Amino acid sequence: MVATLEKTGVGADQEIRPRRRTLVLDVITYTVLVVSSLLVLGPFLLSTMTSLKSSKQFAAEPATSFPSPLTADSYVGLIQGNYGFGRSILVTAVVSLVIVVGQTVFSVFAAYAFARLEFPGRDFLFWAYLSTLMVPGVVTMIPLYLLLSESGLRNTFWALVLPFVFGSPYAIFLLRQHFLSLPTDLISAARLDGAGHLRILWHVVVPLSKPVVSTLAVITAVTHWNSFLWPLIITSGDRWQVITVATANLQTQFNGNWTLVMAATTIAIVPLLALFVAFHKTIVSSLTIKGFN
Amino acid sequence: MPGVVRSTRRRREILSGYAFLLPSLIGISVFLAVPIVTVVWLSFQKWDLIGPAEFIGLDNFRAVLTDGRFLHSLIVTTLFVAAALPLQTVLGLGLGMFLERRVPGSAVFRVVLLLPWVAAPLALGIVWKWIFAPTDGLLNAIVGQRIEWLATPSLVLPAIVVVSVWTNIGYVSLFFAAGLRAIPSDVVDASRIDGAGRWHRFRYISLPLLRPTMFFVLVTGLISSFQVFDTAYALAPNGGPERAGDVVTGRIYYEAFQSFQFGRAAVMALVLFVILVVFTLLQQRYFRSRTTYEVA
Repeated sequence: MVATLEKTGVGADQEIRPRRRTLVLDVITYTVLVVSSLLVLGPFLLSTMTSLKSSKQFAAEPATSFPSPLTADSYVGLIQGNYGFGRSILVTAVVSLVIVVGQTVFSVFAAYAFARLEFPGRDFLFWAYLSTLMVPGVVTMIPLYLLLSESGLRNTFWALVLPFVFGSPYAIFLLRQHFLSLPTDLISAARLDGAGHLRILWHVVVPLSKPVVSTLAVITAVTHWNSFLWPLIITSGDRWQVITVATANLQTQFNGNWTLVMAATTIAIVPLLALFVAFHKTIVSSLTIKGFN
Repeated sequence: MPGVVRSTRRRREILSGYAFLLPSLIGISVFLAVPIVTVVWLSFQKWDLIGPAEFIGLDNFRAVLTDGRFLHSLIVTTLFVAAALPLQTVLGLGLGMFLERRVPGSAVFRVVLLLPWVAAPLALGIVWKWIFAPTDGLLNAIVGQRIEWLATPSLVLPAIVVVSVWTNIGYVSLFFAAGLRAIPSDVVDASRIDGAGRWHRFRYISLPLLRPTMFFVLVTGLISSFQVFDTAYALAPNGGPERAGDVVTGRIYYEAFQSFQFGRAAVMALVLFVILVVFTLLQQRYFRSRTTYEVA
């Protein structure tokens, strides 16, 4: 049909051009998206491939070769060996979990107070919370280290958890904005039914805010699972070593033993990719629409 | 009677307000507000944690502002930001334009492109350290040459830039895609009817309307890239060859936790803070002074 139309003169040509143009544009779009996706996925796939090779194959064949035989030796060695890596996984998981639960619950409380309750000093406190957002982590890191080591908490579980578990100004701000946008009628109706603030929060506000709360929880999990500088400073030795610190130490200690090191990076990376893929729908839309900017 | 009910109600609301706020108030005061005050106090002290702190006036400021290594790290960081920020913004905008077209399957690409943003920067840094490794690394296997990427001073900073841009580009493109989506199609259609070409539509319609997105992407990008640490720590430990990858946050870390000069490190942190505030205000002024277009 295209061929016949093309031969029938000027009018037909005008009709066909936009369609052909979108086709060309579609081809370019897919090319760009596929190429950039491959560039993004490449390092992930190739490092995982390396972690599944025997050290013999890694030494003998080029880096791009496919693992044969496929072996989990590096992972087994990493967990069972004397690297303390198994413990690091546990420490990181527990620390992240405690922070996510604490930070989410306490931030929801604070945000509700700022958005829906009236009490003296509210606006000043909100302004004070907001102003701490301007201060980058590097600035507070040194005094925080001195504070915790002078309290005898250096190299403890508490040092990893306490500074973050009571809520974050960022989360409180975002949640407050969201709570303000909820319909007032619903909350007033619940008030008239005699519900207390805790019940309103739990049965009305939180169910209406599930996407925002879960996005925040995932972002908190990502931030603290990936955290490196703070654990590097405040812990030493194997006892409270988190995955990122363990991976960095492993690389320095066994430079060149890339099958082992790539097993460590894969363990550090993959759980979060899984978490993200599981929640991607909520996160991708919340990030750009719900005012995360 | 109703007045009594109202006042107990009111009192209860005030009490719940403080009760709800209490945990975060404790946390933020002790672990954020106190450290912010302490860092200023610390900048006037000489303290190595072993002896007591000693007030030394402006000595730390004098020492830091004449410290060649610190000034060098400021230059390295500025170069890093000057390369990484425009690259990730331009490439992110380009990629965002293709994502915005929402061809079938673009949701999958969105997720894939965001993956580096979710992964630990330190772990990614070490993956890239393998990619750049001289003998058994990926890149040399591909180019078929033995290049000492991370041992060559002139290549260290570009390597950190590449890894950083690679990490952030998907995240940036997502925001531009959303910004472009928000532009009402009748504005674009009207310009098309007026005979504006593709470049004109982009330059005079899309780009000005993307101003809020652009501001957000630039400000957050600037603040985070000025504080780059994990990637630099992985690719250029101790600053790398000839300190070519010695970024400011790393400098602060080494000053405090290798040299135990906590007072000087506090001054360096304050200098970094002031730089960030100044740049943020400048960007704000620039974006405010230009005409803004309200997108309904």
